[in-house]
Amino acid sequence: MSKASPELYEVAQLAVDLALKKGASAAAARAAKSRDVEVRWRDGKVEQVQESTTRGVSLALYVDGRYAAVSSSDLRRDALETFIADSVVMTRSLAPDPHRALPDPALYAGRREMDLQIEDPAYLTVSAEKRRTLSKEMEDAARAVKGAEAILSVSSGFNDNRTESVRIASNGFSGDRVETTFFIGAEVAVKDADGRRPSDSSFAGVRYVGELPSAAEHGRIAAERALSRLGAKKVASKSMTMVLDNRVAGRLVGALGGPLSGQALQQKRSFLEGKLGQAIGSKLLHVSDDPFVPKGFGSRLFDGEGLAAKQRPVFEDGVLRTYFIDTYYGRKLNMAPTTGGMSNLAWRLGERSREELIGAAGEGIYVTGFLGGNSNATTGDYSLGVQGFVIRGGALGEPVAEMNISGNQLELWKHLVAVGDDPYPYSTLRTPTLVFDAISFAGL
Amino acid sequence: MNEQGISRRQVLHIGAATLAGSALSDVLSGPARAATASAASPLYFARFGVDEGLIRGALAAALSKGGDFADLYFQHRVGSSFMLEDGAVNRAFKSVELGVGVRVVKGDQVGYGFTEDLTREALQQAALTAAAIADGPSRELPQRFHVGDPRASRYSVKLRWDDVRPEQKLPILNQLNERTFAADPRVKKVSISFNDESSVVLIADSTGRIVEDVRPMTSCYLGCVAEQNGAREQGAYNVAGREDLSFYSEDRLARMVKEAVARTVVLFEAVPAPAGEMPVVMAAGSSGILLHEAIGHGMEADFNRKGTSIYSDKIGKPIAKPFVNIVDEGTQQGARGALNVDDEGNDVGKTMLVQDGVLTTYLHDQISAKHYGVAPTGNGRRESYQYAPMPRMRSTYMLPGPHKKEEIIASVKKGIYATNFTNGQVQIGAGDFTFYVKNGWLIEDGKLTRPVKDVNIIGNGPKVLEQVDMVSDDLEIDEGGWTCGKDGQGVPVSQGLPTVRVASITVGGRTTGKRG
Repeated sequence: MSKASPELYEVAQLAVDLALKKGASAAAARAAKSRDVEVRWRDGKVEQVQESTTRGVSLALYVDGRYAAVSSSDLRRDALETFIADSVVMTRSLAPDPHRALPDPALYAGRREMDLQIEDPAYLTVSAEKRRTLSKEMEDAARAVKGAEAILSVSSGFNDNRTESVRIASNGFSGDRVETTFFIGAEVAVKDADGRRPSDSSFAGVRYVGELPSAAEHGRIAAERALSRLGAKKVASKSMTMVLDNRVAGRLVGALGGPLSGQALQQKRSFLEGKLGQAIGSKLLHVSDDPFVPKGFGSRLFDGEGLAAKQRPVFEDGVLRTYFIDTYYGRKLNMAPTTGGMSNLAWRLGERSREELIGAAGEGIYVTGFLGGNSNATTGDYSLGVQGFVIRGGALGEPVAEMNISGNQLELWKHLVAVGDDPYPYSTLRTPTLVFDAISFAGL
Repeated sequence: MNEQGISRRQVLHIGAATLAGSALSDVLSGPARAATASAASPLYFARFGVDEGLIRGALAAALSKGGDFADLYFQHRVGSSFMLEDGAVNRAFKSVELGVGVRVVKGDQVGYGFTEDLTREALQQAALTAAAIADGPSRELPQRFHVGDPRASRYSVKLRWDDVRPEQKLPILNQLNERTFAADPRVKKVSISFNDESSVVLIADSTGRIVEDVRPMTSCYLGCVAEQNGAREQGAYNVAGREDLSFYSEDRLARMVKEAVARTVVLFEAVPAPAGEMPVVMAAGSSGILLHEAIGHGMEADFNRKGTSIYSDKIGKPIAKPFVNIVDEGTQQGARGALNVDDEGNDVGKTMLVQDGVLTTYLHDQISAKHYGVAPTGNGRRESYQYAPMPRMRSTYMLPGPHKKEEIIASVKKGIYATNFTNGQVQIGAGDFTFYVKNGWLIEDGKLTRPVKDVNIIGNGPKVLEQVDMVSDDLEIDEGGWTCGKDGQGVPVSQGLPTVRVASITVGGRTTGKRG
């Protein structure tokens, strides 16, 4: 766990100082620098290599009771000074907003001191050769599976990133964060007898490069998944049980994030308004927001405004326990701020594996992918494209595609009938396999 | 979600997702005039120290390892956004992006680097990074660079956004707010964002070409929430174009208010859509989302070059009825998808994807054009200097056909009339695509009967094109602010459609017919 570079502290402090000098009464700045390298490999050779270091500063300005947020990648001193002076002038043109203010400094206090383990000190040791080798291993493994003659193309890749950032606010906040991520992934396209060219993929991401899972394994899984899509067809429209794969279950869970936000509540765009303390789902919906998960992708010691991070129950036995309220909407709603956004989700897990849940489901659809669709935050209505496999007699049957599920979120979560033992590790939502009964599927 | 750059997704959405720009500290120079880049250069980027020496040095470094081709993409983009909530324009956002991307091409392999520091040293470093895609002796650069002039001006801008003061924009937001509340007592909340942007790009490549283009953009989103008998609904309308302040005419503002309110309050009467295969009539205008997803992405030549599109190997083959003609073009004056040159500096024209029902031309960037031995079609686009270009759509639409809207609706016994959309997505290879219908109507016995809402429609590209069996004469290009996403890069696009009948497609409604 290292500190961000002094240069970023200087840029953030300079931005705050310039803002105050140009007439702001308060300001908060975030300066960041990010190095990103990506190798894309396709069909036996490197397709694209991209390497870059990006930097920039963003600034929240409070001027005469008015508010604006600005950002620039032009960090030349003169340019920055002119930019901030212009921005202060622009802010003065706005209507005053009595609810705008930096967070109460009392909420900065109590920041936990711990190593989140989100920075790999070995970051710089990753070589161009390693990125290529892992990419190639994925392709080789994909092409070694049974039925590989149907493979049209294998794309694989390696992405690594190191981002450091510093946040400074004029009312006493100062904090930094250094993090690394490493992702591998493969996507395999196959040719179907009817001319369709379905594809599927497998990805993995970690905070420490040494913890990357076997690249070959992900190449193999991507190929097997793609080949299993051959011959996919839609089936009859019907209300059925849905077993939702953990790698895509986040799509449904993520749709709860917007309606839980202070802005949605205050703007009357949330079907969860007034539902605190009420049962939204079955007793199996039991989730907390946990910013302290070691190596988590959403782990943090303070949030985007500088508020000290805290663990919070979101749903307990189906009952809604928290909204995500930032300083501004907290003041508008006359509610105490919690945090402006989710960190990591931690689920109360079930005891059964995905295979056991499919076996127990008997009949239904095992959904492995979503395609488009939307969820209405105001009403809770959702309608989403899906693909997957028929479940028959507790076993996976033929692949299905071009299907859709529809309903209302308030109804959906009451139909959550089982939770798996397998949180998806490569997302902040960390969702296990979920099983819902009585889901409306549209197809033929 | 943390899938970062290796996720390959194609999505289209509408709304106030992007910042757009104004209030430049210094003055835009207008379109570059034809001249050589000398010390007395008229180049906009001269103010950042960019001259022929800097360009030549960077391109020489880019080709130092034997790349076939290299280009530089300088960009200065200033965007601003004013937002109204709870009756007041009480927040503004402004962004400045300055940087340069270096691309080196070797065969069909690409090396890419970028920097936000326009010094010689930083540019040299980015160029050497990109150069490493190749591994051979260096290549020579041409003796002279020529500054080309974009041949057309398709942006309708008399008053540049950097010359527009906040005081000129704020009345537009305040007026929209007051008129929206006045339009219907059920309206309880109004939110508005007004965005504008000036993006200046300079493209220089190893053939000796230098092109500058000054690209304006504006968009305005008007959203409202209404209440009736304890129920709530949200709706919105938005407009966008490469236009100036005069875009916000009385007509357009009146339409925004009328449509935003009408689209919201009608939802109180809406019934859940049915589920299953049925005829769907696509209303003229934003229904162009059908083309964007069903065929547009699949015709981008990068997928076809790799053999991973469902349209690979189908050029010259009939795929639709003979009255189906589908176009992608960048030449519509003031359109959100219009361009003077693409992001590789190539001319932008009109490309026939489907002519008289036959698949005709893929959408090319330079790499795919070279692969297929054809001229680039001006579809090489990128989100910003941080990304390498690839084939992308501009404005995609269907030409008018032989039928009438009234006869099309009258022909449907039971189906859906889809009028308004929020987003869509496609799987390029399988061909399955979706689009989300925010507003629509049930068609029963040839008549529009009851409104429907919030339903996803899912189909398969080639199958759905075969099912397009009626095309009206009422083509409309949508004025909304669509952004197309591919491999994590968003670019502005337009789309349009005449009224069209799809004889059969899956409507993702509810099997129970009940709410819940």
